[in-house]
Amino acid sequence: MKFREDILTPKERLGAFLSGQELDRMLCMPIVTSNAALMINKSVKEFQLDPEVMANSYIAAYERFGYDLNYLFTNCSYIAEAMGQELVYSENEPANTEVHIIQSEDDLSKIKVAKRHDGNFSVFYDALDILNEKTGGKIFNSVCFSGPVSTAATLRGTESFARDSYSNPDLCHKLLRMSTDSIKNFIEAVVEKGAIPIILEPIASGSIFSPKMYDKFAAPYINELIDYAHELGAAIPLHICGKTNKIIGRMADSGTEIVSFDLCDLDIAKEQAQGKAVLLGNVSPSDELLFGPDERIINACKETIDKMSDYKPGFILATGCEISTKVPLENVDVMMKAVRTHGLYDYEK
Amino acid sequence: MKENLFGEIKENLIEMEEEKVVELCERSLELGIPAMETINKGLIAGMDEVSKLYEEEEYFLPEVLMCSDAMNSGLDIVKPHLDHNDMEDPIKVVIGVIEGDTHDIGKNLVKILMEASGMKVYDLGRDVALDDFVNKAEEVNTDLIVMSTLMSTTMDGMGKVIEKLSEKGIRDNFKVFIGGGPISQFYADKIGADIYTNDASEAVREAKKVMGRVS
Repeated sequence: MKFREDILTPKERLGAFLSGQELDRMLCMPIVTSNAALMINKSVKEFQLDPEVMANSYIAAYERFGYDLNYLFTNCSYIAEAMGQELVYSENEPANTEVHIIQSEDDLSKIKVAKRHDGNFSVFYDALDILNEKTGGKIFNSVCFSGPVSTAATLRGTESFARDSYSNPDLCHKLLRMSTDSIKNFIEAVVEKGAIPIILEPIASGSIFSPKMYDKFAAPYINELIDYAHELGAAIPLHICGKTNKIIGRMADSGTEIVSFDLCDLDIAKEQAQGKAVLLGNVSPSDELLFGPDERIINACKETIDKMSDYKPGFILATGCEISTKVPLENVDVMMKAVRTHGLYDYEK
Repeated sequence: MKENLFGEIKENLIEMEEEKVVELCERSLELGIPAMETINKGLIAGMDEVSKLYEEEEYFLPEVLMCSDAMNSGLDIVKPHLDHNDMEDPIKVVIGVIEGDTHDIGKNLVKILMEASGMKVYDLGRDVALDDFVNKAEEVNTDLIVMSTLMSTTMDGMGKVIEKLSEKGIRDNFKVFIGGGPISQFYADKIGADIYTNDASEAVREAKKVMGRVS
């Protein structure tokens, strides 16, 4: 196969995909996030707190890679932060939680349902304003945020939350309720800025919870968020990292338009999601993309493209998870080159 | 009679019935059953089953935690009555999450299952300085060094620990195990780790295997 430069802009391509029209090539959305800050010589910390740094990072990444979606994302804990959880910001790592605010049920009074300007939410809104102005004509923006389970687990500590699921399910549900309501307020603001909200649920992953627990603690709240986005007229992808072999069917049944997955057998994903949701995944950002070499990246992309080419309603090539600052940017170039070589469709403008 | 009691302990442990496990362990003492037998045939046998269920993806983090809580409560009852002459030298393990990373769920699962199978685990915690792995391993003359990380930004630390061991000429004194989200056999080969496993149960099995303790 021969390499071909893009014919459509990312915005035209995704628009055509969503409305069932022809595309020039398969969509490709490597999950570039705070590693983009390195391209403009800024730290991950600045990226998380300064909307201008955030916006300029994505502009640089879009210009270099020409990928099909900006994934605005800082860390897994910022919804919890807006609810009252303190985070630790270090120079070149995503912020994280050291002391979980909910040590016991009594601590519920220390948190609140986040409103749209709480915590560091505004960094996203201001970055979106800049992006809309500068590249809004060419590429869509999305904003990724931890879903109810991951947010509740951040507030409580994952192991405590896991124990509570047996010993104090009521506390789980209280935290999930407040998390869900906080996320709704954020989604509303994100959608107003024209961005696509994306739910991330690393803690609801099949690496941590059983499908039964998913039904009990994750699905009701995740599905509520999806319904809510739909009420607002927005599409809302669902991303779960880690193993998803046993829950990918449930993810597809959530009502989301796009199931974004990490470690899942492609045959299982195809079978379980067929006819229900677009699939997005799942080249490894910690193996092929991290270590290369070029041929290995190209092969991984090509195999995925070939395997998924007959999937309906459609497949988007992406990484299974966020691309870390350790991944050489050249390797993301190689991934884009792979889709511009092996993911081409017949197309005349 | 004894066997029935062990069976009940095992079953209740698997069912996460902490209070029942405690009750049954108390009964084992009343019946004069040696603590070692109750531990091996009841509690550890139960956790072996839990480990299997985890590997088969029937049990997940919450279930393993609840079962291990039940086991530990049972151990608290019978352990003071252990006759130390009965005890085989346990496999020694130094475990921790690599410097720069605070994700410790995976590491804790490995620790729980290793302890549950009778190993002596020295837990260095999370965000562990690389030299600490080397120093602790030497200090306690460990059998295994087990390193975990969830982040690809910190995984290089694992290779550096192995280099440090080599520099000191003590690499071959230990078996080095690695695991965690971004870790693969490819990476293990690349840095010269002895064993990579995909999950905690497999880590326990491999640990017994390399130490020649396969039952």
